[in-house]
Amino acid sequence: MKISSKLIGLSLGSVVVVAGLAVTLVGELKSVSTGYNNLLQGSVRQAEAARMTQVDFKKQVQEWKDILLRGHDADDLAKYTGQFHEQEAKVKTEARALAGSVEDPLTRQLLNEFLVADDKLSANYQTAYSAYVKGKFDFKAADKIVRGQDRPPTDLFDKVVEQLNTRVTTMVAAQEAAAIEVRNTALILAGALLMLVSLIGFIVVRGVLTRLGRLKAVSDRLAKADIDGLSIDISGNDEVGEFGQSMKGVAAAIEELLSVAA
Amino acid sequence: MGIQLKNRFEDVGREMGSSGRMKLAMLTKMSSVQAGSLEDTAANLKLVDDAIAQLRKGM
Repeated sequence: MKISSKLIGLSLGSVVVVAGLAVTLVGELKSVSTGYNNLLQGSVRQAEAARMTQVDFKKQVQEWKDILLRGHDADDLAKYTGQFHEQEAKVKTEARALAGSVEDPLTRQLLNEFLVADDKLSANYQTAYSAYVKGKFDFKAADKIVRGQDRPPTDLFDKVVEQLNTRVTTMVAAQEAAAIEVRNTALILAGALLMLVSLIGFIVVRGVLTRLGRLKAVSDRLAKADIDGLSIDISGNDEVGEFGQSMKGVAAAIEELLSVAA
Repeated sequence: MGIQLKNRFEDVGREMGSSGRMKLAMLTKMSSVQAGSLEDTAANLKLVDDAIAQLRKGM
């Protein structure tokens, strides 16, 4: 093979391998990016929704306290009762939606337990509310009915939030590990590719230089008319081989000239 | 040994002179001394004959 063909082949081969490497890495990066997108659209969003529901539940409890504290005024009673029921409905809707979307069975179970506990709490709030209104706004009697009962659903929902946060942390760690793996793969492949191209280039150049060195030695002997026992053993189909054949012709011609002259 | 090959060099020498022998050596990449040490194989004879034909064309 001609030296020019070898060099063109080496260049083209390098371009093809680099392009292949680039395509592979783009694919890997896309995979990591998709993983992050899934994480953001799935677990991160669920964790955020859980935190919002947690806050809404606390607002609901606060609205109940506002009813007890300020419900003796008719306008305030209507206002805080409306806000309480609004928060109550919001919490139930959000918790049901979350229970329907989470993949983790333990989180789903906790949410279902929360919904049961919250329904029970709602019923007790209703009983306490009726006692409050009928008892002429006796907040102590009403509070006695539901005192401490918001604790179990609160604890359950804290566990839900913790569980979802743990899941997000785990998945982020997995994505980071995948990104690091892609980076390491890129470094290893690029390093291996660089070494391969360097090795092939070194072999090609060394082969050419070795044969050129032999050719130069022949040329030096011809320049000194030192043709006795001169052997030109430079083969090959490349430019150096062709040059060797030409030198062989020149050496034979000089030898013939000397033999004729002798 | 290459008697026929060597004879061809001498024939060319008679026909075209020293320069012809030199050109034949250049084309065949062998001197008459080397030709004398080679076998008169069909391939070697063809190589020399082709070179002689080329020289005659160029005359």
